[in-house]
Amino acid sequence: MNKMGTIIGFTFRNKVRTKSFMITTLIIVLLLSIGMNIPYMIKVFKGDDTASGTAGSAAVIGLVADSGNPAAELLKAYNPPAGIPKITLNSYAASDDPELQKALDDEKVQGYLSLGTASASGLQEVTYFSRDGKLKGEVQSYLQGALQQVNAQLIAGDKLTPEQISAMNTPVAIGNKQLSTTGEVEAEPSHPAINYVIVYVLLILFFMSIMMTGNMIAAEITSEKSSRIMEILITSASPLAQMFGKVIGIFLVGLTQIVIIAAAIAANLKLPHNATIMSDFDLNFSQFNIGLLTYGIILYILGYFLFALMYAAVGSIVSRTEDLGQAIMPIMMLGFAAFYIPLFSIASPDTLLVKVASFVPFTSPLTLLLRIGVGSIALWEIIVSLAILLVTTFFFGWLAAKIYRTGVLMYGKRPSIKEIRKAMKAYKI
Amino acid sequence: MEALKLEQVVKQYGEKTAVNQISLKVSEGEIYGLLGANGAGKTTTMRMVLGLIYPDEGKILYNGKTFNSELQRIMGYLPEERGLYPKVKISDQITYLAQLRGMSRSEADKSLRYWLDRFEVPEYYNKKIEELSKGNQQKMGFIAAVVHKPQILILDEAFSGLDPVNVELLKDTVKELRDQGTSILFSTHRMEHVEELCRNITILDRSNTVVQGEIREIKKGYPREQVLLRTPGEVSGLESIAGVTAVKRQERGYLLTISEIEAAQRILQQAIGQGEVEHFEIKEPTLNQIFIRAVGESHE
Repeated sequence: MNKMGTIIGFTFRNKVRTKSFMITTLIIVLLLSIGMNIPYMIKVFKGDDTASGTAGSAAVIGLVADSGNPAAELLKAYNPPAGIPKITLNSYAASDDPELQKALDDEKVQGYLSLGTASASGLQEVTYFSRDGKLKGEVQSYLQGALQQVNAQLIAGDKLTPEQISAMNTPVAIGNKQLSTTGEVEAEPSHPAINYVIVYVLLILFFMSIMMTGNMIAAEITSEKSSRIMEILITSASPLAQMFGKVIGIFLVGLTQIVIIAAAIAANLKLPHNATIMSDFDLNFSQFNIGLLTYGIILYILGYFLFALMYAAVGSIVSRTEDLGQAIMPIMMLGFAAFYIPLFSIASPDTLLVKVASFVPFTSPLTLLLRIGVGSIALWEIIVSLAILLVTTFFFGWLAAKIYRTGVLMYGKRPSIKEIRKAMKAYKI
Repeated sequence: MEALKLEQVVKQYGEKTAVNQISLKVSEGEIYGLLGANGAGKTTTMRMVLGLIYPDEGKILYNGKTFNSELQRIMGYLPEERGLYPKVKISDQITYLAQLRGMSRSEADKSLRYWLDRFEVPEYYNKKIEELSKGNQQKMGFIAAVVHKPQILILDEAFSGLDPVNVELLKDTVKELRDQGTSILFSTHRMEHVEELCRNITILDRSNTVVQGEIREIKKGYPREQVLLRTPGEVSGLESIAGVTAVKRQERGYLLTISEIEAAQRILQQAIGQGEVEHFEIKEPTLNQIFIRAVGESHE
């Protein structure tokens, strides 16, 4: 036990001090900080745009219509829905009105709208004139909405009130409810939006961490083998203590990295200009689910050990670092499956694939997290899945120890599975 | 009681016998030589002694007891391809290895500093292995093997690749450890080191023990068949002396091979008869010759 502590400490100290670890962590923190501040930056740039634009929110355009045209009055009286700035319309008698020409020259108006005759059958011949021949997006969408309503008012005449007309223009929302097998309407398990964010972040964080640390373990063991220090190590401490010491040491390295990243996220959220971002995205920290985070940590630990032990076993079989990439390929594949199944199912977390995957040991850590976070899952399912995962992890711990004990002394070409099995019988752990 | 004792130890890899019934004893304060050509079974024997692999038959006893994890404290090992972490500071990794062998950190540090001073390289304390020359890396490997003051020390080709100055330094250190009571199992194919250091040897050839015993006794068993003669002038008629089978003219004299010991006296008479004799020696067989004979014979 004492030796294991020594091994854990040595592994941890040496890994954390490597340049590659520091640089990777720094890059992740940097990217995260940039990513989290992008909404703010967009806001800043947008704000600059409107401030520098000549017309801005108070765009002014001219309106040329025959006197007594009912559409002109209606158009001027139009009230846009909340959030859209009103555009001021100035009436001019004719398109060759010198006042209009002067306003255009002085850029007091962006352009002018010419209305044709208005009748009970609707508006006709609406044309927008401007010096640069461009109809700006915001102006167009404002005019579109306004003219639509004016048109409806003209056609409806007095038969409908303005409220009824504006109600007609409101889009109809489609509700969505799931039917249970009994035919009743099931209450949709409503997960707060923050759960999706947490699951998403945890998925990526855990996947990255497990893959990175796993590779670290395998590479470390192989390099110990190829530098032959393994022979000295293995005569100094039992292979079992060494393997678990290494796996736990690297686990602490991974955890350190996660804590640093989490701290970076928290610090960024605390920045004053980001205070409104959470609410902008309809996220609420008071809904932050400690239970989900706890499950996440448990699943991360189990998932980490399962993968780490496999990496350790593979690392111990390979004698040269060059061969390692090929040898860890199958584990990588398994890791990708474990990551992409939940990632692509985040919008539909109750498919059969997800349900099955949440019980299969290698894919279960991340998939289970998805189901707990944003899907519907019964408590017994969680317990069964965790139990299967736990048993598998212990089994792989035992198997990896056996393989490690055998593998570290095998040099030369990569041994076949048959050779490993034969050699494994020769050792008690 | 012997510090280390192997009894009829056999190791097989599949169909192939790697070590066939080797028996040997190393007492306290003794350097035991394990000789053999490449692939003779030296490394396998050493790995069994270290408990890295288990013998298929026979017993290995340490101070009369079988292998147990306590031994990790009292054994030191310098592998043939010495291994240390290339990118870790020397102070870090050697104290780490010493700690694994049961030393406290401060003790380990003190011991490491002692050894660095002993090899007159205290400045290596903060260096990395990859920054050192091959010979110095080997010294560090040696320190890693002895830093925890082992009672049983296993040195696999300890001196290979070192320059003569460092060989002397390491040889002196090994002798010093021996005098302090360390039992050392020493493998090499450099015979002159064995002759200088070891009392008892075993020569392995393709898994089998071909020669074993005290070097003096072994040498007695082989006929003295070379005579070295040094004279200022020429000596004629040496070829015709009865019992002389070959004459080699050397820079300052002759090296003669004889078939019977009596011929030596006749050579001396002949030489004195013709003038002054500076040097006359009946050479005892070198281990090199014994080794070549023992291994060579079994190959025929």
